[in-house]
Amino acid sequence: MSLLSVENLVQVFPVAGSKALVRAVNGVSFTLDRGETLALVGESGSGKTTIGRCLLGLITPTSGNIVFNGLAMGGKRSVRSPEIHGKLQLVFQEPAESLDPRMRLHEIIEEPLRALDRDRSERERQVREAATRVGLPERLLTRYPAEISMGLQQRVGIARAIISKPEIIVLDEPTSALDPTARAEIIDLLIRLQRELGTAYLFISHDLSAVRQLSHRLAVLYLGMIVEQGESAMMFAQPRHPYTVGLLSSVLLPNPKIKRLTQIKLSGEIPSPIDLPQACYLAGRCPLAEDRCRSVMPPVETVAPGHTVRCYRIDEVARMEKAVDYFGQFQAEADRILGASVPNET
Amino acid sequence: MTAAPTSPSDSQDGKTAPLLEITGLTVGFPQYGTKSLAALRNINFSIARGEVVGLVGESGSGKTALARSIMQLVPEPGRIESGKLIFEGRDLATLDSETLRQLRGREIAMIISNPRGELDPLQTVGDQIGNVLRAHMELSGDGIRARVLELLRQVSIPAPERRVNAYPHELSGGMAQRVVMAIALACSPKLIISDDATSGLDVTVQAQVLDLMRELVAGRGTSLLFITRDIGIAAHFCDRVAVIYAGQIVEEAPRDEFFENPHHPYSILLLSAFAQNERLRRYWLGDTTAGTGARTQDEGCPFADRCVRAQDRCRTETPQRREMAPRHFIKCHFPVER
Repeated sequence: MSLLSVENLVQVFPVAGSKALVRAVNGVSFTLDRGETLALVGESGSGKTTIGRCLLGLITPTSGNIVFNGLAMGGKRSVRSPEIHGKLQLVFQEPAESLDPRMRLHEIIEEPLRALDRDRSERERQVREAATRVGLPERLLTRYPAEISMGLQQRVGIARAIISKPEIIVLDEPTSALDPTARAEIIDLLIRLQRELGTAYLFISHDLSAVRQLSHRLAVLYLGMIVEQGESAMMFAQPRHPYTVGLLSSVLLPNPKIKRLTQIKLSGEIPSPIDLPQACYLAGRCPLAEDRCRSVMPPVETVAPGHTVRCYRIDEVARMEKAVDYFGQFQAEADRILGASVPNET
Repeated sequence: MTAAPTSPSDSQDGKTAPLLEITGLTVGFPQYGTKSLAALRNINFSIARGEVVGLVGESGSGKTALARSIMQLVPEPGRIESGKLIFEGRDLATLDSETLRQLRGREIAMIISNPRGELDPLQTVGDQIGNVLRAHMELSGDGIRARVLELLRQVSIPAPERRVNAYPHELSGGMAQRVVMAIALACSPKLIISDDATSGLDVTVQAQVLDLMRELVAGRGTSLLFITRDIGIAAHFCDRVAVIYAGQIVEEAPRDEFFENPHHPYSILLLSAFAQNERLRRYWLGDTTAGTGARTQDEGCPFADRCVRAQDRCRTETPQRREMAPRHFIKCHFPVER
């Protein structure tokens, strides 16, 4: 049984002063196993954050089922129920804004334990342990958030998330506000923590380089619908949905030799979730769209075990996009160019 | 990638002067009771006509201070303490405010991130583009309108006749960024500075906007200074790359040379941040190198405290700019060589 399963999640928001509805999430289903990372990828407005918030019980979904550890969430049971309390945690996008500026770092980190009514000596011991785990020097614990760098602030955010020993951490774009070096450090830290603690991550991001490093499986969202889902390695090498291809080819890898070669170029921008397209949501931007794409929503096709795609033109995409793993090519080049910079004895 | 119309190497053999040549630029912010804090230290940097240069650095490295020095808009109380900024034979630092006013927007334009913040929420798109034309070009009402529509078309805004009357809040982020680009392009300036202009956009839109920007300058021989923290943009959209760290340009080279033979440890650290090779990352990024920043002492290399290759000399003697290969400059005592 999966640690978490989400079935047909729908989230609709009313628009103030109008009868229109914002259809943020439109029937999303996925599962998450223990110790696994599932990445939710998509542009702004694709519903990534809304899904994370539904899981945490911060908003009540319009419909759909969320089952955590065999317990159906919703109704009387929420993240605040005793049997779930502390088992789900969240790391935010903007580290500076997610830390109370008037609290010292150790107070911020121990806050989840106060909610769980742990006694003081226990809290102090665990704060020190969490700080060590995330590489936060103990001497900094009495400082305020404004006194430390953004990379360190995000370490505090992560320490606060792991202190209650959660089974799932929702990482809502944890690296997108950071500089490249701080970003790399946080990714390495998250990988190490998962190895040590076995926590499952729901990694919400549009940073595909980070996704490739961190995630085992990948779900690509477009206007609140999963258009492609599968093993991360396979999707990076052989994307089958035009939108996944478009996303991958928009990534600028830092090597001029790795050219973004694609015949599938998306035009325009993500439409408003108030007026959803009638059939395939991507049809208006997709160069492969044909009449049926605009009239009937394509069904979900299974192209390989665990790899599903919602598109009529899968074969066309496979024919046009040769299976080239640009990220893999880039890594090989990086090893060649930079590898020699590391002395052999280390 | 198409080559720039004017080969950047022309400026090096003395035939053509670069469009902008910065020498010994130092910008300081006074601090109470102590010496001023240097945002930029002894910058030597030039941009050739038609060249696209990527200036890569992390937050606080001085990228924006450099852009603002060129515009002569260093925010108070900061000031240019020394150095020359020669733009087409004139030192920008010596010009009076009226001359500068005529220069900004006409000869040098700037595009910043957060396009919606840059646009006036109470004016239509057409009026805002028209303002620049009215201030700098001798155009009448109809002429301005025709030019505005032409500009909107150039930046690939669909249905320009309708959008010209739109207010900024009616536009998506990508559309707003295109309007800002149209304002920058309005007077066909010789230099456009893009200060992290695409960082707020979604990835698929960013790729579209970057392609468009590159295309528009290539057709006009306009020079472009791309300021960014994303080294990937430099790899795909620039002719030359300069890496800035703690107010100093630590490495500078033609693009292909830079990515094939990076020499400065900081450049290699930046590139390693994208590599998945664990040995490489562990060596350059360390296990938990939390909290070490740039050195602020005058003497020595600013990167010394974060650098795995640092030796005693790096903390006592400031490395001088030297040429490792043709047009490949670095500031480092112990560069990485393959």
